This record gives sequence, C-alpha cells and structure tokens, in this order.
Amino acid sequence: MAGYIVKRIAVAILTLLVIICITFLLMNAVPGSPFLTEKSTPEMIARANAKYGLDKPLYVQLFNYIKNYARGDLGTSLKMQEGTSVSKIIFHQGKFALSLKLGLYALLLAVVIGIPLGCIAAYNRGKWIDGFLRVVTTVGVAVPTFVLATLLLVTFAVKLQKLPTLSGSLPDFKSYVMPVISLSFYYTCYVAKLTRTSMLDAINQDYIRTARAKGVKTRALILKHALRNSLIPVITYLGPVMAGIITGSFVVESTFSIPGLGKYFVQSVLSRDYPVIMATTVVLSALVILMNLVVDIAYKIVDPRITLTSKED
Amino acid sequence: MDGKFAKLSPFQVDPDKIPPVLPPLTEEDFSPAADEEKASMVEKHKSVSYWRDAWRRFRANTVSMVALAVFTLCLLFAFVGPKLIPYSYGDQYRSSQKLAPFTYSKGEETVRSIAGSCDGFYATALQRGSITALSKGDYFIRYKGRTYAFTLTKAVEKSVIILNSGAEEPLIVVKESAIKNGEYKDYKPIEFTDTPAEGATEIKLVNRVFPHVFGTDSAGRDIMARTMYGTRVSIIIGVVAALIVLVIGSIYGAISGLSGGAVDFVMMRIVELIYSIPEVLIVLLLQVVLKDPLQNWFDTSTSAFAQGLGDLGSGIVSIFITFALLYWVTMARIVRGQVLQLKQQEYVTAATALGAANGRIIRRHLLPNCVGQLVITTCLQIPSAIFLESFLSFLGLGVSAPMASLGSLCSDALETLSLYPYRLIFPGVILTVVVLTLNLVGDGLRDALDPRLKK
Repeated sequence: MAGYIVKRIAVAILTLLVIICITFLLMNAVPGSPFLTEKSTPEMIARANAKYGLDKPLYVQLFNYIKNYARGDLGTSLKMQEGTSVSKIIFHQGKFALSLKLGLYALLLAVVIGIPLGCIAAYNRGKWIDGFLRVVTTVGVAVPTFVLATLLLVTFAVKLQKLPTLSGSLPDFKSYVMPVISLSFYYTCYVAKLTRTSMLDAINQDYIRTARAKGVKTRALILKHALRNSLIPVITYLGPVMAGIITGSFVVESTFSIPGLGKYFVQSVLSRDYPVIMATTVVLSALVILMNLVVDIAYKIVDPRITLTSKED
Repeated sequence: MDGKFAKLSPFQVDPDKIPPVLPPLTEEDFSPAADEEKASMVEKHKSVSYWRDAWRRFRANTVSMVALAVFTLCLLFAFVGPKLIPYSYGDQYRSSQKLAPFTYSKGEETVRSIAGSCDGFYATALQRGSITALSKGDYFIRYKGRTYAFTLTKAVEKSVIILNSGAEEPLIVVKESAIKNGEYKDYKPIEFTDTPAEGATEIKLVNRVFPHVFGTDSAGRDIMARTMYGTRVSIIIGVVAALIVLVIGSIYGAISGLSGGAVDFVMMRIVELIYSIPEVLIVLLLQVVLKDPLQNWFDTSTSAFAQGLGDLGSGIVSIFITFALLYWVTMARIVRGQVLQLKQQEYVTAATALGAANGRIIRRHLLPNCVGQLVITTCLQIPSAIFLESFLSFLGLGVSAPMASLGSLCSDALETLSLYPYRLIFPGVILTVVVLTLNLVGDGLRDALDPRLKK
C-alpha cells in the first residue's frame, strides 16, 4: 500500500511537470508580447522583457518557473497592478477558496443526491419511479451546464426574482443555490445512473440472495451489503467529476459573475499574462491530480480485492 | 480377442471394417460448382450478416428507434431546412431587428397584405443588408414563360414592384407607404418589353413573406436560419472530431496492442499521462495559441487545403487539433484492449504464419473484428465533441461571427437574456435534443452490436 502511494505520488509529480512544460511551450508559441499596446515602442518592450526575465533563453525561463514553484513561489502578474504576486491574487483574495467551495459543494451534492437516487431507482426497478428517474437522468446528462445555468437564471432571478442575479463572492446561502445546482446537475444525474446500474449488478449476486434467505431486512440489505460493492464504479468516476466540475466552473463563474479562479484563468489567457496562466494551470491541474490520487486510494479502501500494482488489463 | 474387454467397450469397432468416409479426391472435385448444383443447395435459414443482425436488434429497441427518428429530424432541420426558408444565417434584414417569434417586420406586414392580390412582388424594404433601393439600370423578370424587361431611370426606394399578369397594367411600382390594408391607390405603371437589354439584371419575385419563426436578433438576422446553420456547424464539428479520434485512436491502440512488450509499455504510459492532464485547461490555451498562427497560415498559404480550412475559421480548426492531440486516448485504450484479445485468435496466427506484415494484420484482421466497438465509441464521441465545442463557443472561443454554432448562439442570447429568453431556449433545446438522441442511439448501437455487453 505504502509503496503504491509513493509510486502514485511520483507519477503525479511527473504529470504536473509535463503539464508545466506543455503550458510553458504553448504560452510561448503565442505570437505577440504581453507588453504590446498601441503606445509601446520596441525599447519599452525590451525593457519590460528584461525586467520580468522574458529576454532569457526559453529553457532558463522554464527552469526558473519550476524552481520557483518548488519553493511555493507562483511569480508576479505582468498585467494586474504592476507586480502583484500571483499567489496573493489566487489565495489571499479568496479566488481559490471561492472556486474550491463551489466545486466541493457541487461534488457533495452530486454524491449526496445521486447515490440515493440510484439506489431508489435500482430498488424499485421497473416501477414508475424508476422510469421517471431514468428519463430525468438521461435528459440530465444531455443538458449543457451553460444552458441549465442560464435557464435557472432567467426563471428564478429574472422572472420570479427569488434569487440574486449576481452571485458575487457568494455571501449567503441564496447566492449558492443556482451556481451549485447548475454545476452539479450533470454529475448528479450521471452518478445516479451509474449507481443504479452497479446496484442492479450487486443485487443479482449470490451473497445478496444468501443474506435475504438469512432474513436480513431490505434496508440493511441495500445499505450494508449491496451499496458497498456498488460504490466502486461511482468512486472511480469521481476523479473525472472533479476535472469536469472545474471545467463547468468556468461557465458557471462567468454566468453568475463569481470572481473565482475559472473566470480569472479565462481572463489571463485572453490577456496573455504568462505567470498567471502558468500558476492557474498548475494550481488547477494539481487539484485534479490530487483528486485522482485520493480517488485511487479510496478505491482500494472500498474494495480490498483490487490489487493496485497491476492496474492494467 | 479378450472377451471381457469387448464387453466393457461396446463402441469399439474393428478399424479395418470402418467404411471410408470420403472417396479419394479427384481433380474434378476442385472445379467450381455448376449453377444447378448451387440451386440444389438447401438453405434452412438464410444466413444473416453481422450488420443485418445488428439492425434487427436495433430495430427492436423502441427508445433507440425513436431517438434515431428525432435525430434524423434534427439532421433535416440542419441540412434541408435552410433551403426551405428564404432567410440566410449571415444576412441582416433592415427594419426586422428584435422581432418576437412568428412575427413579420413592419415592411413585411405591409407587403404581406397584398400578397394574395398579385402574382408576385419585389419589395426593396425586404432586401438584405444595406440594399434598400434598386439603383437605376436595366432589369428583367421572368414569370410563367414570359419575360418582362424594363429600365429604371432613377432609383426606386421603399417601394414594391408588383407583377399581376391578369391586370391591365401588369407591372407597377407602388410606394410602401401607399399600401394600407391590402389596398393601394397611388401607383406608377412600368413600361416593359419582351427582350431584356444587354447586361440587364434579373429580379426574383416572391409571392409570400415567410414569418421569422424564432424571431430575429438585434442585428436583424433571422434566428431560425441561424439556429439551422448553427446546428449544422455543431453536428459537422462533432462528426469530424469523432472521425479524427477514430483514426488516431484506433491506429495508436492497434499498434500498441499488437506490438506488446516495451513498445506497448511506453505507448500506454503516454496514454496515461495524457489521460491525467486536465484537458480543458490545455484546450483553452490551445484555442488562444492557435488562433493567430492558423489565421496567418490561411491568409498566406495558397494551397487548396489551407483555403478549405480557412473557410472553416481558426476556431473550428483548433477544436479539431485539440481533439487530435488530447481526446483519442479513450479510443486507443478500447482498441488496444480489443486487439489484445483478438491477437490470440487462430486466424491471426495463421496470417502471421503465411507471412503477413503487421500493417496488413491490423488492417485486414484486427480492425474489422473490433468494428462494433469502434462504431459505438465513435458514435458516443460525437455528443461529447458537440458539448466541448459549445462550451468553448459559449466562453467566446471556438466559432466566431458571422458563423454560428449552437454554443455561440446561446452565448449571443446571454446578453439579452432577461428581455428575450427564447433566444437561448431554441438553440439550447436543440443542443440538448441532439446530444440526448445521439447518446440514446449510441446506447442502442452498443446493445445491438455487442450483445455481450447488454445488462
């Protein structure tokens, strides 16, 4: 187990390094300079380049980035208020916390609503409630996040005026409702579908029949015997969910005007703020990779039969 | 012989007494069968091909069949629809800005009222863009085998040219303002001849005005035409992206699976690495990075390939590149798994023994045998590509105006959401329906092509 975790962490760090290299190369492939404006002269650009170390050879710049990241220094922004440190923008101004809170609530909602719905559907297989849930979840995974987000916005904020149009920095419960629902809806539906399928699989196993014959109550049967085994596919899916929620947060943050990391990332890409692009990519990738790591380990805890060292085949 | 032994094995026969099963083969036995021989072959059941069998199973699946029918309707809407309505996606119609669904602009309303009382008309107000007047010059109209050629000595503005072949004066010009409740008083007859002058322009008459079924946007563009066009763009992007994934993923997976050993190990580590990269971050970067270089290439290169891609625009091309770089990994994994199973089969061993090269084995034996999996995965890749494209377009990357995709239409609608929510609902609903039906068709295909997977 310990050996496996060490190996996975090594792979995770390698992945992160590859991501840093790819991002760096892509960023430098963009023609034009971040300092190019209508008024700037070639000398001014050269001076600015020298100041921020952009005149050095690419490999030196790349090495500097990696060295600084290893020390926890995310660099300084080229655009926002001359020399603001990126880590200050991301962490101290609450952008990261905001996005993380949004993402975690969405994840929580997907799990807390999705798994019980899947269980209910599987247990009532073939009855109207199963049919109803199947229609809802099938349609649910076909609705793009931005369509749902904007529809919610029109209905509850514009027409009914029950919820705020601009969620801002999520000051109260009301401002959370729409962003979290639209972010998690797709995943709630997907988790429910997945749970239903694997629950049905589990219910048809011999040990369930044995337990039933022994006189175990239905509720205990579902919760204690079937659920544990049917959770494995759901847990494997949670890694991609986290990546998806980050993607979704770009849309949700721009729809509800939440000043989070996603919105900031899109902005920095559009304005070519190199250190910010790098830092945001690294922070978000690290989050996704960490999540995948946690999922892989959780996988092992839920199902000790799985030998993690030979994950292939 | 030992009697006890003979008793114990009643089936034992004397090998010498076994009649020969087949007479010795002669040269004639290898000649092709004659027609009557073929005809005398009795087939108890007609042999069913793989695809026919799959289609039979697919047809029995009501949900998938309904989904297929609805998706076909979407295809008709996207590909045939634009030919049926008189508006086009990029044209801005004067005086028709911000119309509600199923309405006509004021000019259209005016000329619509006279539509029943004449054979056809040409209204300057209904024309596209800035063409709001007919400049002076020679024109002709063809109607029911007859030609009406005439010369305008001065420009005609805000007027309707009406053709009524039964009337005393068949060709007249009326000021739009003179038309009220389907009647007009003030009109000028136009003199005409049968033979058009050299270089005369043909005028197309219309005899009815089509409503703006989904309304129009702030620039006076018909939203239904744009939605049809956007649906077409989205579906094409989805299909092309899925094909790119299919080609790259299946080749990569087949090579990896067939090679095995160190090659397989390295190739699969690369797949794992790409798998763990959060694609969307890289996709967003790629969109921005590729925009200028691609545009540059389109502008400077003269090759037909670059020109063709240039017509699509850099946004769409970079979506394709993104798919080619990052999204083939799932396909590669699936194909590799299949190939690992299939390469144990005897026919692959036989092909190897006969000296077939690896490329031939992949092409002739392995890929055709995992075609079911390939079809299913490709089909399910289409909606995910449509999702990604609409997501990018919604963020303002991807497709750029005057082109439209379902995502960019939703994004356009966002600006005026509180006033005109239906502008979001039409493309949003169609996007959902397309993705939903494709998902259901994909599920049906999986059940039909690979019955082992059916739960």
